[in-house]
Amino acid sequence: MLARTLHADLLSAIAEHRASGAVSPGTRARLAAAQQAFTNDVDVVNYALTLEHLESAFYKLASQYTFGNDPFGNSIDEWLGVIGSHEDAHVEALTGVVTQLGGEPVAAAEYDFKVTDAASFLTTAAAVENLGVAAYDGAGASIQSPDILLAAGGIVAVEARHAAYLNVVTGASPFPAAVETPKTPQEVLEVAKPFIVSGM
Amino acid sequence: MTSHQLPHAARLQHLIDRHVFRHNALSRRALLRNGAVAGGGLVAISILGASGVGAQGMATPEASPMDEPAFMNDVDVLNYALTLEHLETAFYRDGLAKIGAAGITGLGFQEGVFDRLGEIAAHEAAHVETLTSVITQLGGTPVAEATYDFGYTDAAGFVMTSMVLENIGVSAYNGAAPYLQQSPDLLTAALTIHGVEARHASYAALLNGENPFPDAVNPYLTPAQVLEQAGPLIVGS
Repeated sequence: MLARTLHADLLSAIAEHRASGAVSPGTRARLAAAQQAFTNDVDVVNYALTLEHLESAFYKLASQYTFGNDPFGNSIDEWLGVIGSHEDAHVEALTGVVTQLGGEPVAAAEYDFKVTDAASFLTTAAAVENLGVAAYDGAGASIQSPDILLAAGGIVAVEARHAAYLNVVTGASPFPAAVETPKTPQEVLEVAKPFIVSGM
Repeated sequence: MTSHQLPHAARLQHLIDRHVFRHNALSRRALLRNGAVAGGGLVAISILGASGVGAQGMATPEASPMDEPAFMNDVDVLNYALTLEHLETAFYRDGLAKIGAAGITGLGFQEGVFDRLGEIAAHEAAHVETLTSVITQLGGTPVAEATYDFGYTDAAGFVMTSMVLENIGVSAYNGAAPYLQQSPDLLTAALTIHGVEARHASYAALLNGENPFPDAVNPYLTPAQVLEQAGPLIVGS
């Protein structure tokens, strides 16, 4: 097992980025190694949990705004509430899996999503959901347990359903391509790090 | 439906039958790398079980599909996916041609909805092309398109059937994913299709006035369950 977990490397990268505006070559190299192969399922699930914490915290902000109706006449506020409850359920489920595997579940961080109004909330929501799909797709093949892969598959499908809806709401295609584009942890970090203010 | 043989449904059944575990070297235990992972698996199953019955009445399986009949090799898994993609491709290609934009706007939708359905049709065709190509590269024989009877009679029925098929597709990919774990590249490719099927399903639910994301964890279907639901739609070779 690696001395440093991917999660620790992610936190290092975030701290370095905040301190100097750049991520050191050493941290980048470790992240690159991690993207080749997570050490074990605990690392993969904690990686997913890191993103689910971020999403869960994000949707807590939704109640500050009023969103009106989507193009099909549904209340956006209502669907955002459902999405938020899903992210909470994902956090709880993944925390349980990490604990069951004998690992230490990562905790939530402090976030700044730079949301200023309903429109920027929805734009960020779409970005976060599409990022989630890409992250799960990039990590899925690193999962060793078939049962955990099944659970991750069940979660990523829901993230994709969220993403399609939020794309509709923001005027984008719900399904911009015939296949998803997976992202490595490093690429995910590039998108997520501006939202993470401090580590856990 | 006639008493005529159902070659594609039969082929699916054959694929499943000949890979029951008692004939199969691939076992659930062999796939579980160690006891600790098996323990975690129980948690994962309970997550899936907690999601209950989906909005479209698809019961969440209580056992892992790895307990069910399995596939012998990657080609079989990919042909299973290809069978469903052929079905979806034919459904959208023929249905959209039959119904036309007027059929969709007649339901009260903007014309853009017809274009979106056309995007879905193009995606399914791309999935067929990709899977056919990969199976060929692996030295396998890709299954061909069959003939289908989707049972709908009007535009509303088409839109409803779209949601049902997409939901089956999402759950089928999810249930089949563990069979590709020994081939990470194929698994990643399947996951990238799986996500798009989920996006289609979300949009199709919106068109039907249904919850686009009815569960916190999408239920999966075993190959046997998929056969039960999709098999009757296949009426000939």
